Amino acid sequence: MKFLRWSAVALLLVTGIIDLYYGNSFAGFYENLWYVMGGIYVFAAIVIAANIEPRFSQLTVFAYTLFLWSVWATVALETGIGLDAVAYADKAIEAVLAVNMVLLFRSSRASVAVLAH
Amino acid sequence: MTGSGFGKLSSEKLLAAAALIAISSGAVVGLSVGYVVHYSAPATRTFYLFDGTLPFSEPSFYNIPHDTFVPDTITVDKGDHVVIHYINIEDVSESHTFTMDLPYTFDATLYGNATQQGVVGTYPNVGDIVLSQGQNATITFTANWAGTFRYYCAYHQPTMTGYLVVIG
Repeated sequence: MKFLRWSAVALLLVTGIIDLYYGNSFAGFYENLWYVMGGIYVFAAIVIAANIEPRFSQLTVFAYTLFLWSVWATVALETGIGLDAVAYADKAIEAVLAVNMVLLFRSSRASVAVLAH
Repeated sequence: MTGSGFGKLSSEKLLAAAALIAISSGAVVGLSVGYVVHYSAPATRTFYLFDGTLPFSEPSFYNIPHDTFVPDTITVDKGDHVVIHYINIEDVSESHTFTMDLPYTFDATLYGNATQQGVVGTYPNVGDIVLSQGQNATITFTANWAGTFRYYCAYHQPTMTGYLVVIG
């Protein structure tokens, strides 16, 4: 479980830095949203690393990752914006992060169940 | 938290519920953001510009009639690519200029009239172009500065004046 937690932290930080870079490198309303997303990812990395309310925070981070994936996909389909190498790399890492969060959440819940018995 | 409804649900059900809510709400937000981005993105705006004559007091000082621009206002968003097809529709031998105040300059392609057909000349990054009777010009520029800027005919002042309004 420790490995899953720290891999989640690493993925969150990488995604956050990419988003901050993306938001910082381009001007415009939509790109500024990336800047905000990156900040939230870095904050989430700190929360996961500190293991604060793990079952709630892990589920929230998982949902946040899917939420952003869904936002990106619909905006890209509607306008063609955000279809570049940086965004593709970011979204690929986010997909891995979502899987990581699923495994981390399940293992966290399993370990709590074992402790309860 | 384990004693609450949240704690009693299986991991799979919680993950599925979270995924469903996240993806559906993300799609709603994405469609909204996409709408805003799509409809405020810079666009190519095309205008047709003609000369006109006021139906009174003609001719005026030094036999120069009171001419006008039709339309006399062109409104675009900042960042738009502006294309103006300017046509000298005079029925007498009379020239007009299309002149813009700085900071705006434009690229122009001048086309001939009945006696001189085809492209007469191309003028990159100029602030002024002269059209003889029957000629037309394609004027292009990007509206990089917000505000109200004058375009005018240097020969027919003060009446032949129009305004480019760039909304920032």
